[in-house]
Amino acid sequence: MSERRPHELLQTGEGQRVCMLGNLAIVRGALEAGVQFFACYPGTPSSEIGDTFAQFAEDEGIFFEYSINEKIAVEISFAASLTGARSMCAMKHLGLSYAGDPVATMPYVGVEGGMVIVSAGEPSLLTSPNEQDHRHFNRFLYYPIFDPASPQDALRMTKYAFELSESTRLPVILRPTTRICHSSGMVELGTFPEQKNKLAFNKNPTRYVPIPGNARRMRKELTLRYQHAEKLLQSSAFFPRTGSGPKGIIAGGIAYAYAAQVIADLGLEDAVTLQKIGAYPIPESILLDFLASVESVLVVEELTPFIEEWISLTAFRSGRLLPILGKHTGYFPIEFEYTPDLVEDAVRRYLKLGERQQRTVAVPELPARPPVLCPGCSHRASFSLVNRVFGKRTVYSNDIGCYTLGYGEPLNTCDILLCMGSSISQASAISRTTKKRTVAFIGDSTFFHSGLPVLVNALQANDDITVIILDNHVTAMTGFQPSWVTDNETTNNKPLNVTAEDVDRPGRLIIENAVRGLGISDVTTVDPFCEAQALAALKHAKLGKGVNAIVFSSPCVVYERRVSSNRKRPAYVVSDELCNGCTLCVRSLGCPAIMVTDGKYVIDQALCDGCDLCAQICKHGAITAVEVEGACRS
Amino acid sequence: MSNDLPDRSCWRILIVGTGGQGVLTVARLLCDCFVACGYDVISGQLHGMAQRGGSVQSSIIIGGAFSPVIATGGADIVIGLEPVETVRAMPFMSSRTLVYMNTCPVIPFTLAIESVLKTGTGEYPDIGQLQKNLSAITTGVIAFDATALAAQIGSEKAMNMVMLGCLFSSDVLPCSAETFLETMTNNTPKNRQKLSTAAFCAGQKIGEVCTIGNHRP
Repeated sequence: MSERRPHELLQTGEGQRVCMLGNLAIVRGALEAGVQFFACYPGTPSSEIGDTFAQFAEDEGIFFEYSINEKIAVEISFAASLTGARSMCAMKHLGLSYAGDPVATMPYVGVEGGMVIVSAGEPSLLTSPNEQDHRHFNRFLYYPIFDPASPQDALRMTKYAFELSESTRLPVILRPTTRICHSSGMVELGTFPEQKNKLAFNKNPTRYVPIPGNARRMRKELTLRYQHAEKLLQSSAFFPRTGSGPKGIIAGGIAYAYAAQVIADLGLEDAVTLQKIGAYPIPESILLDFLASVESVLVVEELTPFIEEWISLTAFRSGRLLPILGKHTGYFPIEFEYTPDLVEDAVRRYLKLGERQQRTVAVPELPARPPVLCPGCSHRASFSLVNRVFGKRTVYSNDIGCYTLGYGEPLNTCDILLCMGSSISQASAISRTTKKRTVAFIGDSTFFHSGLPVLVNALQANDDITVIILDNHVTAMTGFQPSWVTDNETTNNKPLNVTAEDVDRPGRLIIENAVRGLGISDVTTVDPFCEAQALAALKHAKLGKGVNAIVFSSPCVVYERRVSSNRKRPAYVVSDELCNGCTLCVRSLGCPAIMVTDGKYVIDQALCDGCDLCAQICKHGAITAVEVEGACRS
Repeated sequence: MSNDLPDRSCWRILIVGTGGQGVLTVARLLCDCFVACGYDVISGQLHGMAQRGGSVQSSIIIGGAFSPVIATGGADIVIGLEPVETVRAMPFMSSRTLVYMNTCPVIPFTLAIESVLKTGTGEYPDIGQLQKNLSAITTGVIAFDATALAAQIGSEKAMNMVMLGCLFSSDVLPCSAETFLETMTNNTPKNRQKLSTAAFCAGQKIGEVCTIGNHRP
C-alpha cells in the first residue's frame, strides 16, 4: 500500500488549478478543512464522495464508515462532532429525509467540531422516485445551506461550511445537485491544515441532553446562533454580483451557471445585473443592495420558488415594490431540471430580445435503451422461479435496488413500491386486507437499512407474507459498496480492493440467522441457480402460514467478475434444430444476451455470462453449454 | 491563468454512446489533454442508472464557460460511438456541427423482448437511413466502422481510440495529436498503451482520407 502513489486528492499544490469532478471537489474541500470523521450511505448522485474517502481514509487517520442507513450516518457523525471532530456525512436527498428525526434536533443541541451534511439533490428524478428541494431545511429547521453552482463552489463552500459550523455551532447542509456532483470543472487547490481538532468528550448534560427543559433554552439559543450565521455569511464570498444593467437576475445552484452562460453568450453584461445566491439564509443586506440597484428581477432557480419568495418578502417589507418574475409569473416551471434553452428563453422574454432561433430537427423514432438486469444476474433467476411458483395473481411488493428492475415485462415482479424497506410493510397491509399471501422482495443492503423493523412488525401481526431476501453480497446498484453481509475481513470497507475469495466466503453475517433470531423459524437459504432446491423452497413457502422467508443467496455477477480474474463459465448456444421458436426463454427471462435475429434465437457470446438459467428453462433442450475458447468473459 | 482560445470563446464537444463503450474514458482523456494545453475545461456527464448498455452522454466545453450542459444546436463536434445514439443527439447539432460516427451498432437489449411481446418494432434502424438523417442537418459527417477497424488491430475495445484518432487527424481543435498521445500514454495502463496508440493512428489515417469539404465547425 505504501508503494502506491498518493491519491490525487491528497496531493498538495496550493494555487494549482486542476479539472475535478464535483463530488471529488467536495472531498477535497473536506480534506482542506481537516475532516476527521466521515460516514455515508451510498445513493446516486452522492456515492463517489464516500467511495473516494474509502480509498484513503484509514491511511489518513480519518474515521470512515459506510453506515447501515442515513439516519445512522447522521447520528454517528453528529456525535463524533460532539467529541470535537470535524465530521461529514453524505447521502442522496432521499436519505436526508429518512434521517429527519435526528436532523430536526441537532441544531438545538449544536455541534462542537464543524459538521457538514451533504445531501445530493436529484431534480428530474433520474434515479429517484421524487424530487425534493432541501433548501427548505433552512426555513424548516434553521440549517445554513450551501448551494454550489460549480465544482469550484463545491470545494470552497465545503471548506467554509466547516468553519461556519464550528463558529455558530450549527450543523450545515451542502446541497449539490446531479449537475454539480457529476460535472467536472476547474478548481483551485488550497492547503491542508497543519493541526486537526483534539478529540475528547467533555460531559455536559445540560448542553447535550435536549429534554424539554433544556430544549426550550436551546430553542432560544438556536435563534441567536442562526442570526450569527446570517451575519457571517454576509461577509462571505458566496453572493457575488456581476454586470451593471438595470435588469436584475438573481440565481442559485446550477441554474446560476445557465444564467451566467446566457448572459455571456448574448453579450448582456451591460444590460443585466446578475446576483448569485450561494447560501442560505440569504443575508438581508445583500438582497436590499441588489433590489436598490435594479428596476426589475428575474429569479432563476430549479424546483420550488425558494429565492423568489424570499426576495419577494424582502422587497415587500422594505417597500421596494418592483416586478419580481419567476415561477409565480409563468417564466419557469416548478418541476424538473432546467436546461440552457429554458433559461435562454426566459431571459429573452424578460429582456424582450425576440425568440431564440430554433430549427426543427426531426429525430426519427429510435429504439430506447431502458435499464435491464445484467446477463447472469441472480435476481433474474429468483424472479423467474417465483413467477413459476406464485404465478401472475400474487401481489409482488418490491423495494429499492437493482431488483426494482423486476418491474414490467417480462419479469413482472414489482406491483408496488415506495421507498427503502417498504416492501415488507406494504406486503403486510395487502395480505391483511385482501386475505391473500403476498410476496415481498428486498435486497441485503436494504434489508439492514430499514427492513428489520418492518419484518418484526409483520411478525407481530402474523401477516401471511413470504419475504424473499435477494442477497447478492454487496450494495450493487450504487457501485459495489460493502453491505453487512460482505466479508469485512477482506474488504476492509474498501469496495475497490476486494479479492476473489471474498465473494464466495460467507460474510460477517448470515441473513438466515438474523431472520431466525427474530423468531421466524420458517426460513431457508438457497442458491437461485439451483433450480430444484429453490423451487422446493418456494412451494413450501407458498403453503405456509404467517411470515416465512427465503434467502436467495448468490453474488452479484458484475461484482464477482470484477474481483475474480480466473472466473470461467461455459458458453451457451441455441441449437437451430431443437429450437422451435416457442419464445419461452425471452418471455420468462428477458436476458439481454438472448437476441432474435431474422426469427432465429441467438445467444450473444460477448454478453452471455454462462449462468445456465436459459438452459434450465428451455423445454426442448435447445440451449446447451459448450466449451469455446475465450467465448465467455472470464 | 488559462490560455485564450484562438478565434472563438468556446469549443463544445458532445460524446455519446452506450454504457461500456468508453464514453467517459474519451471525455476524461479529452479533458486532461486540453487542461494540459493550458485551457479551462468543464465537462458534464449523464448516465442515469449505471447499467451496461444504457445511453451515455458526456459534454466537454473548452474555454471559460459556465454551463457544463450544451444547449440545443450548440455542439461544435459530436463524437458518436454508436449510430442510434449519434442520431439521438441530433437536437444538439446544427449545420456547423462536425459529426464523427462509428457505424457499428450496439443492439438494444430490449429488441428481442419487443419483437416477442410485440410492444415495439423489434428492429434496429437502417444505418444508411440514420446517416441520411444526419446529413439533413450537417454536411460535416464522417462515418465509418471504427469497431471493425479496432478489431483488426487487436480488440474492439479500442474503438474509442480509433474515433479519437480520426478527430485529431484534422487541425480543427486547438491541440495537436502529439499532445493527445502524450496525455493518453500517461493515463493508460502500460499493457494497453500499444493497442491504444495503434488504434489512434489507424483512426488518424481514416480521418486523413475523409473529405468534409470546406466544413468548419
